[in-house]
Amino acid sequence: MRLKLIQWLGIVWTLLFAAFVVWVYAAAPQSVADVATRASVAAGTYEVDRARFDAGRELFLREQYAAARGEWERADPARRDARTQFYVAYSFYREGWGRVYNDDPLFRRGLEAAGLAVALSPDAPLAVEDPELKIHSPAELKAELEKGLERTADDFNPLKVFRERK
Amino acid sequence: MEATRATETTEVTLDRPTLTTNRTRNRALLRHVVLPTIFLTVALLGGLRVAAESRAFLFVAPPLVTLLLAVMLLVLFARVGAVKVGRWLSADNGTAENVSHALTLGALFFASAQAFNSVLPEAGLPRLVLSCFFLWTLWQNQFSNFDPRRLLRSIAALFGTAFLVKHLLLASLSAPAGGWLSRLAAAALEGVTLGTLSGPAYAASTGYVSFFALALYVCGLALTPPSPPVETDDEREDRSAELARDLNLLPPRERALLIEELTRETEKEGRD
Repeated sequence: MRLKLIQWLGIVWTLLFAAFVVWVYAAAPQSVADVATRASVAAGTYEVDRARFDAGRELFLREQYAAARGEWERADPARRDARTQFYVAYSFYREGWGRVYNDDPLFRRGLEAAGLAVALSPDAPLAVEDPELKIHSPAELKAELEKGLERTADDFNPLKVFRERK
Repeated sequence: MEATRATETTEVTLDRPTLTTNRTRNRALLRHVVLPTIFLTVALLGGLRVAAESRAFLFVAPPLVTLLLAVMLLVLFARVGAVKVGRWLSADNGTAENVSHALTLGALFFASAQAFNSVLPEAGLPRLVLSCFFLWTLWQNQFSNFDPRRLLRSIAALFGTAFLVKHLLLASLSAPAGGWLSRLAAAALEGVTLGTLSGPAYAASTGYVSFFALALYVCGLALTPPSPPVETDDEREDRSAELARDLNLLPPRERALLIEELTRETEKEGRD
């Protein structure tokens, strides 16, 4: 093997390995599986596990919200899919919604997920065409969650109990 | 008998260039591929911690003090001749060779910083004490008489001590279940808080990772030649360069005698 070839091989290898080390410290994966997930995100080959997503939706429709979120967590471990994050936010909304009062901690987590869904679809607003849902965009859902967290005089309106869950 | 000896001599003569080529190639692979790989692996593992409860990886970037310590260590390497920077980065080297050497030295710098990061406690009084201990030791060493081998042993001892302090003594103090040292300290110093001594709790695997990183770092240092040999693709040129380098290692008087002898031989051959 010619020496020049070894030198160039060393340069390329060192630069690649150094880039990997810098990437690991920047991405801070939490496990070996997370390394693979984040690498696929960086390479642009990341995809949501469709089967797990559908399983989560089935649970969501049966009002098993925590279990549904567990499935979506596994379907989108890197939290890079706007649609999945929209459903996660929706599950927090439905679980936290109450006729008399809302569960604020759940709404806050929903707001976080809705914000992430909005941030993940910067080019075009996401529209989720699901007949089982009454809100079809992350921005709408975010507004609904924010409204639920607000403290207004309207909270004391007894007619509030007749409002409808979306 | 004579014929056999002649054949053996021929074989040895024929094998020599192959041996030289292999040696040159292996040395080049070591400097350009193996050493950067070792040092970058240390740079990767030096900041890795494993959380005690969740077992999640935590990557701790090198703090400023470790960069300062790494600079001091590299200056020390250069001062004692463990790394002759002028030979590693020289106008006599080719461009690719210089670039590769610069990357290897860069990797050595970050590996040193991360080796310190690996053995420095995360926060509090122990971190301050150990940082001062490292700074003091390295500053003292700048003015001591060392040869590369002794320096390597001294560095291995330095890291070994810090490893024991962080991963055995302090880890025992901050163990969630209360390690042996924590119980001992609690019994001996009844009523005294250990708040300034204990740090974040990490899984036992953090110690193993740190041990591996430090062992790899010391191996990398042991494998690093003080100055890279002259590289050429021509085997005869390569051998000449090697002989010239060996000649340079002789004391001046012996070198002068050898040169005189060789000149006499050459003159004799010319006359014949």
